[in-house]
Amino acid sequence: MTPAEWEALWLSVKVALACVAVLAIPGLLLGWLLARKQFIGKHVLVALIHIPLVVPPVVTGYLLLLVFGSRGVIGQWLESSLGFSLAFTWKAAVLASAVVAMPLMVRSVAIAVELVDRRIEDSARTLGASPLRVLATVTLPLAAPGILSGLTLAFARSLGEFGATITFAGSIEGETRTLPLAIYNCIQSVGGDAPALRLVVVSVLVSAAAMVVSEILARRARRRLGGTG
Amino acid sequence: MNLELDIRVTRGAFRLEVASRLTSATTGIFGPSGAGKTTLLHALAGLVRPDNGRIVLDDTVLFDSSRDVSVPVHKRHVAVVFQDGRLLPHLTAAGNLRYAEGLALAAGLREPTLAFDRIVQLLDLGSLLGRRPHHLSGGETRRVALGRALLAQPRLLLLDEPLAGLDHARKEQLLPFLRQAQLATGIPMVMVSHDLGEILHLTDQVMLLRDGRVIGQGNLFDLVQQHEPLAVLRGAGLINVLRLRVREHREDWGITFLEPLDQTTAVAPPVLKASLHANLAPGAETWAMLRPEDVALALGPVERISMQNQLRGRIHKIVRTESRTLCLVDVGAELMVDVTHHTADDMALVEGKAIWCLFKAQALTLGTSGTSSSPAN
Repeated sequence: MTPAEWEALWLSVKVALACVAVLAIPGLLLGWLLARKQFIGKHVLVALIHIPLVVPPVVTGYLLLLVFGSRGVIGQWLESSLGFSLAFTWKAAVLASAVVAMPLMVRSVAIAVELVDRRIEDSARTLGASPLRVLATVTLPLAAPGILSGLTLAFARSLGEFGATITFAGSIEGETRTLPLAIYNCIQSVGGDAPALRLVVVSVLVSAAAMVVSEILARRARRRLGGTG
Repeated sequence: MNLELDIRVTRGAFRLEVASRLTSATTGIFGPSGAGKTTLLHALAGLVRPDNGRIVLDDTVLFDSSRDVSVPVHKRHVAVVFQDGRLLPHLTAAGNLRYAEGLALAAGLREPTLAFDRIVQLLDLGSLLGRRPHHLSGGETRRVALGRALLAQPRLLLLDEPLAGLDHARKEQLLPFLRQAQLATGIPMVMVSHDLGEILHLTDQVMLLRDGRVIGQGNLFDLVQQHEPLAVLRGAGLINVLRLRVREHREDWGITFLEPLDQTTAVAPPVLKASLHANLAPGAETWAMLRPEDVALALGPVERISMQNQLRGRIHKIVRTESRTLCLVDVGAELMVDVTHHTADDMALVEGKAIWCLFKAQALTLGTSGTSSSPAN
């Protein structure tokens, strides 16, 4: 593999890990909120979270560009007050894949939390556990397999992200050209078949490895909870 | 304990209305399924919010709708042992116990009689500590759940059908632990059950619930003297539960001799004969169940008959229902005896009459596991 290809691989993993890190806390909170709380505007929130799942990623990318681009409302503010430019940097790639992966993460968490037996939570409350402690010591550990699969889905979705990334972050070698973008770039150029194939193999291996690791972790979590795994 | 209750709870079409005061250290709530027993417990624990009313435990107002007070569940210090145990599945038995202990310590509760090692010893949990809940049997799960609830150092312990779903042998194994917990910790308990025998092992103070309302409350022997409570109690299988101490065994006769623990009156304490239970050490406390219909009445002692137990006593109350006559006989312990109207009329049974209670040794169903007379202090 050429240094540029290594760079694409490393960039992909970096963006995917950052995406998972960025998503973890808000994903958990939103998932728990949707599963356990009733509040005004819940339907609107659900719809908002799910938009990236149903519109073409290129639309998501373009909307992000409109908001966070150098002429966007938030983008302009970021640049003028913080001197911080988001669009067409690797951080933009992280934001793009995080937005696209958000519904997957939130749905997984919400389903996992819904499946947690509330009567077990009640028993912890009668022993004197505050709501926050119940969340940390009962709900989240019991929902761990679902949370784990949500994080894995987010990681995998980020690895495969193309449309929103190329629209919002561009395809800048060494900055935003992740594996899918690099593969596309190879296919577009003359004599790029061999490098494209190499990257395809790498891409398949990385995704498969992520799935295997997540399956092992999920099995371990399920076994801890008493399932047969 | 002084627990004042005056609440109304609506759950769909069901309505629970309870106004009562519980002062006994242990109270049993008895009633048929659907009577509202569990709903009442949940309201006490704070898991169900009453429509309106008041709950006051000693000096603490737990709920008062008129002042908009409702102490959250985790601040009530009212622990519940649920029917299904509800252990935290991701923790071991020890982890579950430590969880409750940690919460008690965090709340500043450090009662030495409720220290971890003591509870483990009291409920014989040592061999279970490393196991996860799904590797515990039903009886073991409930023992751990009981230990966990005690370690939370509650001001009040609620037991929701703690023996339901266990087979007879398991129930018998668990009952002495409940009794130990009651004696050794002194934590006030309210136990809900649809099995009168279970309740009477722990207390004779009973609240009777039916269709969401209290139809009687107090000492069992007072309750059976009232029409409606008696009907409910009989429907559920009224039973004498005698707390006994083992005196000695006569292996050659196949008989174990016992004497009552709680003697009611000045009548000479009876010696009871049961079929041999050699596993119970002399001096050990145990209990026996005796069905009121298994006791025969006689006007004098009867010789040459196979009834090994012949206890002299005095009828202190006669309760007639549509079908049967229930006599409360003081034989040194209080005994309920169920006879037909015909018998009652034929023998001219009246209150105050001296009478003999006869029953076979086998009619006394002894608990197979005794508890030591001085619980491990």
